[in-house]
Amino acid sequence: MGLSGRRPIIRVSHLTVGYGDVALLDDLTFDVYPGEVFVILGGSGCGKSTLLKHMIGLYRPMHGSIFIQGRDIAVAEGPARIKILTGIGVMYQQGALFGSMTLLENVRLPLEEYTDMPDEAMDRIALMKLQLVGLGPAANKLPDEISGGMRKRAAIARAMALDPPILFLDEPSAGLDPITSAELDQMIIDLARALRITFVVVTHELASIETIADRVIMLDKRTRGIIAEGDPRELRDHSDNPWVRQFFNREATVQG
Amino acid sequence: MASAETAQVVLQANSDADGGLIFSINGPLDAGTTGQAWRAALQALRQSNPKRVIVDAARLTYCDGAGAALLLELQRRQQARRGSYEIRSLNAAAQSLLDLYGRSDRLDPEPASLGWSSVEQIGHATVTLWHDVVALIAFVGELCAALGRAARRPSLVRWKDVFLTAELAGVNALPIVALLGFLLGLIMAFQSAIPMREFGADIYVANLIGLSMLRELGPLLTAIILAGRSGSAFAAELGTMKVSEELDALVTMGLEPVDFLVVPRVIAAVAMTPLLAIWAGFLGLIGGAVVMRSLGFPFVTYVIQVESAVTVSDMIGGLSKAFVFGIVVAAIGCLRGLQTRSGASAVGESTTRAVVSGLVLITIVDGVFAVVFYYLGI
Repeated sequence: MGLSGRRPIIRVSHLTVGYGDVALLDDLTFDVYPGEVFVILGGSGCGKSTLLKHMIGLYRPMHGSIFIQGRDIAVAEGPARIKILTGIGVMYQQGALFGSMTLLENVRLPLEEYTDMPDEAMDRIALMKLQLVGLGPAANKLPDEISGGMRKRAAIARAMALDPPILFLDEPSAGLDPITSAELDQMIIDLARALRITFVVVTHELASIETIADRVIMLDKRTRGIIAEGDPRELRDHSDNPWVRQFFNREATVQG
Repeated sequence: MASAETAQVVLQANSDADGGLIFSINGPLDAGTTGQAWRAALQALRQSNPKRVIVDAARLTYCDGAGAALLLELQRRQQARRGSYEIRSLNAAAQSLLDLYGRSDRLDPEPASLGWSSVEQIGHATVTLWHDVVALIAFVGELCAALGRAARRPSLVRWKDVFLTAELAGVNALPIVALLGFLLGLIMAFQSAIPMREFGADIYVANLIGLSMLRELGPLLTAIILAGRSGSAFAAELGTMKVSEELDALVTMGLEPVDFLVVPRVIAAVAMTPLLAIWAGFLGLIGGAVVMRSLGFPFVTYVIQVESAVTVSDMIGGLSKAFVFGIVVAAIGCLRGLQTRSGASAVGESTTRAVVSGLVLITIVDGVFAVVFYYLGI
């Protein structure tokens, strides 16, 4: 897709993240454009989940900025920060649904906190979101009573409660069987197309990347930076970087 | 989300000549504006009860899921009362949103399971209590067997864990036990000295402090601190291991959780509780001494009075109580940890149950000791 001339919805600029004084990722710069499914990938321990946690404002970066819809989440405080946070939705790896609430109540929670809607309206909207992810019948169930795949879908419904233009997904296919995982991928594609939601997805599932990703960046812990950026199918076949080809072709590194 | 804080009026209701209701939308329908629009629309619908509802969406600037929910809700209500419903000049983006959310194959929620009647609740509570008693008896048996195995082959016990737990549950508890023991002795001496002085019996405050601290309150105080500090910690630790399937991992490696986890904790607690009880008693006596000294008795008088009041059998009685309290508190903490169910609140629940059951059992055991000591004449 032609990206030139479009304004990015997320702009990460000279970002350095890490713990204490140790930088895990150094001087990252990339843009995410509206409506695309953007995938952050890399091997275990390369810092992709840490990067995600910085992008959703859980951690403060060591240097650099993360502009979400034009506002820097790295420095935002108070109402400005709430404004950014209500414009994004996050699905955590395990779903992170509140165990004491039914699925409907989980999805209702952001509406209760951030809107002045009457109860009936919140119930309708929450049910509508659950139906959208195919969980209408399970609306009155507790998270404990449903399967892992359903929990992830419910978590996506909750992330979409306030209709944010950006959704962050942390390892959506982790721990799911191939069929459930493929269904979840299809749902992501459908939502991105139908609702024009921008997805930022952290994953290392190759099958999933090739299905959903419009564009990927690949992180590497040796260089602590981005070693590849672009269309995943292009990268798999034509990258000059041996690590990237190795990743996409599932080759092991044997070290003595 | 664009206009979350601007409370503008986006929906106006007007009746037309034929008794129909026209909703004119002017502005965005999003999470910020839909609440107000929803109330206005439903109120107008209730008041005029129209046959025909027309939504004029020509000036609808933006519509998200919340707005779509409102438009679909109006449609649903009109369908339910067999009225007609029409949306005019809806832009393509909003129309596709309505098509997406309003698909007819959406399934409604299954009803939530009904709560229990009071009879069912009583029955359930009774069965739960019975199962708990059975589990407790089974656990006592299992623990005895495991302790027997440990006594026969001490090399099988994980002594590293024993010493670590002894440090955490025993050594690290010294300051809090000292503080509470000292204050207990001080307060008790002070409170009893005032009325006893009226009878000229204030020297017997020493007897009271000596007997009660060494025989009764020292062990009891220690057991209560142990239940709050370490019983809860054991439950939380084992509960977290249960939730993260570490206990299952032990079992599949052929290791018994009771041998591997419970026995070291019980041995450590049993070794530490009597020592802590002595420590609590000692600090209680010091607290009493401070009061007696301030009442004008020389220190040596206090010591001689305590010596004359407290016998070795009182001391042994107190220590044997502490010994049993240690077993009870550690074992019930571990049992509650092993019984942890799944879910985020499960570990918290186990911890609470460990402390409460610990305190209940301490009280029961203390009562049993009182009866036994009475018949033994101790």
